[in-house]
Parts: sequence; C-alpha cells; structure tokens
Amino acid sequence: MEGDHLWYEAAHVVGITNALNVAADGLAALPAVTALLPPVAETGVDQPTGELFAEIRAFYGRGDVPPVFRFLARDPAYAADVWAATRRAFGDNKLARRFKEALAFAVSLTSRSEWGTGFHLGEMKRLGVGDAGVMEVIGVTQMFSSYTKIADTLQLEPDMGDIAPVDDSPAPGGPPR
Amino acid sequence: MPTVRLRDASEYPDPARKLFELSKSWFNHDFKHPPAMSRVMAWDPEFGGPHGRAMKRAMAPGEWSRGEKEMVAAVVSGVNACAY
Repeated sequence: MEGDHLWYEAAHVVGITNALNVAADGLAALPAVTALLPPVAETGVDQPTGELFAEIRAFYGRGDVPPVFRFLARDPAYAADVWAATRRAFGDNKLARRFKEALAFAVSLTSRSEWGTGFHLGEMKRLGVGDAGVMEVIGVTQMFSSYTKIADTLQLEPDMGDIAPVDDSPAPGGPPR
Repeated sequence: MPTVRLRDASEYPDPARKLFELSKSWFNHDFKHPPAMSRVMAWDPEFGGPHGRAMKRAMAPGEWSRGEKEMVAAVVSGVNACAY
C-alpha cells in the first residue's frame, strides 16, 4: 500500500463515510427529527432530484434511496454535491470499491454508527466479500481498537512514523518535482 | 510523555527479547529500539501473548492482503483519534 494516492483516497472514504453516518444516525433515523424535517419522498419529485435518486439507486444496485440521501435532498443542490463527493470517494480508482466499502465498514463500526455499519456491511457482501473477509475486517478493527486505547492510556508517543517510504511524486496534474 | 517508564529491551527477560526480534521481521524494519507498543505488550506475556496472536491472525493475508489490513488498521486508529 505504498504511494500517497492510496492514502488520500482512503482519507476521502473515511471523511465522507463519517459525514453520511452523522446525518444518517443523527438525523434521518430519528423520528423526532423526521417529523419536523421529513425526508424527500422517493417518487413524485422534480427532475433534478429524480435523476439524483436514480443515480444513487443505480450506484448501489437497489430499488430504494438510502434515507440519508432523501433527507439531504431537502436541499437538492447540497445533496447533489454530497452525492458527487460520495460517488467519487467510493468509485473504483487506485483502491477498489469493494475495499473502500471495507474501510467504510471499519470506520462505521469503530464510530458505532448503526446505519453505517449495516449499510457498508451490506455493500461489502453485495460486492462479493465473503464471510471470512468480513470477519478479517472485524478482527483488525477490534484489535486496533484495543491497541489504540492501550497507547492512549499510557500516552505512548509515535515511534513508527518513519518506517514507510516518503512519496516524492507531485500533486495530481502538478509540475514534476 | 508516557505515563509509565518504558523499559529498555535489555531490562526484559530473554523470551521477550526474542519477541522483539520477531517484531523487526513483522514490520520489516530494523528498529533501533523495540516499538513502545511491543514493550508494553511484553510486560505481561499472559496478556500480550494471546493479544499478539489474535492480532497476527487478524492481520494475516486472507481475503484481504496484509497491506490492505494495515490500511484498515490506520483508519481505525484515525477514527479513534490515536496519534500513536
């Protein structure tokens, strides 16, 4: 996993996953919130929102739009941008989409996002990850949820930061160094 | 600053020092001193032993590569806001 590109991609997945989880668990899943701010209906919407929902359904290969996107679609322009970032972050690139779903599952599990954990587990399985592969991600997530707390409790200082090689490549599209 | 005094490798008994050598091959890096976490886990072999075996089992290549698992570990550490 050498080269900064991979790590930038991973960071984007982590960020947008957390953003979706915050809205999914903290807003879209709460009846007290949706009673006051109802999500946009699946059907009978204006054309831009309908196209957005169609794209989301196609990307996830499902017949419904995840509630978080219907909630965000209360502001269609905002929802479109969040979706564009989500689609970009999760699309196949240097990292494969199925692995990105594994990262998102680990992030969701670690941050106790009920919606994110279930959603990304479903995506992992849909994209062909087997039970053993899921358990591997759970194992790594659990073990590093232990190491991190041991390190924090003892306030250990980083001592392995220099074991990875430095990537001297320029920014994408930038002049050579 | 750590809340405990991290012992030098030479302060540990032989079995622990052998494990420190193994950590070099695990990380494929010639550490000047064993990583702090290795020294912490060696403090109580009855805890560190099974914990380390569980970690090695979890990190072994399977459906995901070791590199992919290191990335999962990194994002979990990030979400846990752990700088170590």
